[in-house]
Amino acid sequence: MRYTIEIWGEMCPIPLIKTQKKLKNMQIGDVLVLETEHSCTSRGIVVWAQQNKYEIVETEIANGIWHLELTKTHD
Amino acid sequence: MKRPVNLIVNGPWPYWVGAIVLAFLNVLVFIVNKTPWGVTRNLEAWAEWLGLKLGLPVTNFYTLSDLLSAYGTYTNLGVIFGAFLATLAASQARFRPIRSKKFFYSALIGGFLMGYGARIASGCNVGGMLNGIASGSLTGWVFAIFILLGTWIGSKILLKYLI
Amino acid sequence: MIHNNLSSQRKHSLGFVVFLGLLLILIAQLDFSLSITLGLGLAIGFTLQKSRFCFVSAFRDPILTGMTELSRAVIILLALSIIGFALVEWWFRAQQIFFKPYVFPLGVHTLVGGSLFGIGMVIAGGCVTGVLMRIGEGFAMQMVAFIGLLLGAFTGKQTQYIWKNFFGEWNSVFLPDFLGWFPTLALELALLFFLWKMLKWWQVRQLNK
Repeated sequence: MRYTIEIWGEMCPIPLIKTQKKLKNMQIGDVLVLETEHSCTSRGIVVWAQQNKYEIVETEIANGIWHLELTKTHD
Repeated sequence: MKRPVNLIVNGPWPYWVGAIVLAFLNVLVFIVNKTPWGVTRNLEAWAEWLGLKLGLPVTNFYTLSDLLSAYGTYTNLGVIFGAFLATLAASQARFRPIRSKKFFYSALIGGFLMGYGARIASGCNVGGMLNGIASGSLTGWVFAIFILLGTWIGSKILLKYLI
Repeated sequence: MIHNNLSSQRKHSLGFVVFLGLLLILIAQLDFSLSITLGLGLAIGFTLQKSRFCFVSAFRDPILTGMTELSRAVIILLALSIIGFALVEWWFRAQQIFFKPYVFPLGVHTLVGGSLFGIGMVIAGGCVTGVLMRIGEGFAMQMVAFIGLLLGAFTGKQTQYIWKNFFGEWNSVFLPDFLGWFPTLALELALLFFLWKMLKWWQVRQLNK
């Protein structure tokens, strides 16, 4: 399953809090798609996912807009 | 494919690299200016200058040449331009508008509280906490503890009204 | 991590570098040390943006999200600054150069100011330095916060005396005068090391929850 949550234009750390909440209700193997134009938010989520050993791919899809795909690899 | 120059220009750098570079620059500012890097003292001077122009009662009567020969003006201008250059160099520059009304008000109120708090305590995170502590002042440590307290209250407000 | 530039802004960035170079030369004509200060400011802004450095995050994330990566980076910054400042002050004294460290009086205004500052920076999405940096990044929200900052700084300056007169203030404490240089440094660095360890433990604990 692919999920997406609305974090567009929200300031830190609201996107990460929403991500943490959403992830609790997801199954292993599900993907969460996020998009943000906030450099610090994107970086914060990537660092958090890496520390948590989730799979994360960060792509810059336009000037200063980041697209994140987070796979829940474990509980 | 990825040359070291690209890594430096595009980033993002790890947080600890930023910390080491900032510490180095912070000490350099102290050597050049003979006084540590501070941010809000200069903003206050500009605010007073604007207030004076608008006919409000002020404590210090600054002239434009006072402000243009103050070190703080140049570090503050430098931070804005430097951050702009950093985004531009990585092709990440864009105007990022406010998407929701609540953030307009939270920014205005937050900015006001921050400015007020910083100026009655004589310092912000940089001048009050970082360089207060680095200068060997007890005030810097006490200030840091109370910033943490304020952050905790602020977090409650954020969870309640902004999420 | 994949990095694809859809449309390059390199041309603009070169133009901006030329503008900054001219500005630095212009200011160097008036006062060389101001020009160096602007250069250092530019380097600071560049570093802050490139490393996504954020003081608010350092205070707030351990409370809200359990991440302490930035808090520990701030501790590194503090520890290195403490050592650097001690060396520079020692050198200034040896050369008999006049300098002015930030040693301010302690009072109720420090406590109230610190708390208000903490609340403000969380809801404004950046501390004062962070606001400046994010103006450079093009965030309208922090431009609004900047207006609030100027208003707040103005009000703060005009009312600071009320706090000082009503509650009074204690003399500023310069720790090395009380404890001596070496014990102060040892104590501060030991405290920071302890905090670093504690924050590391906190992050591991929060992540496993």
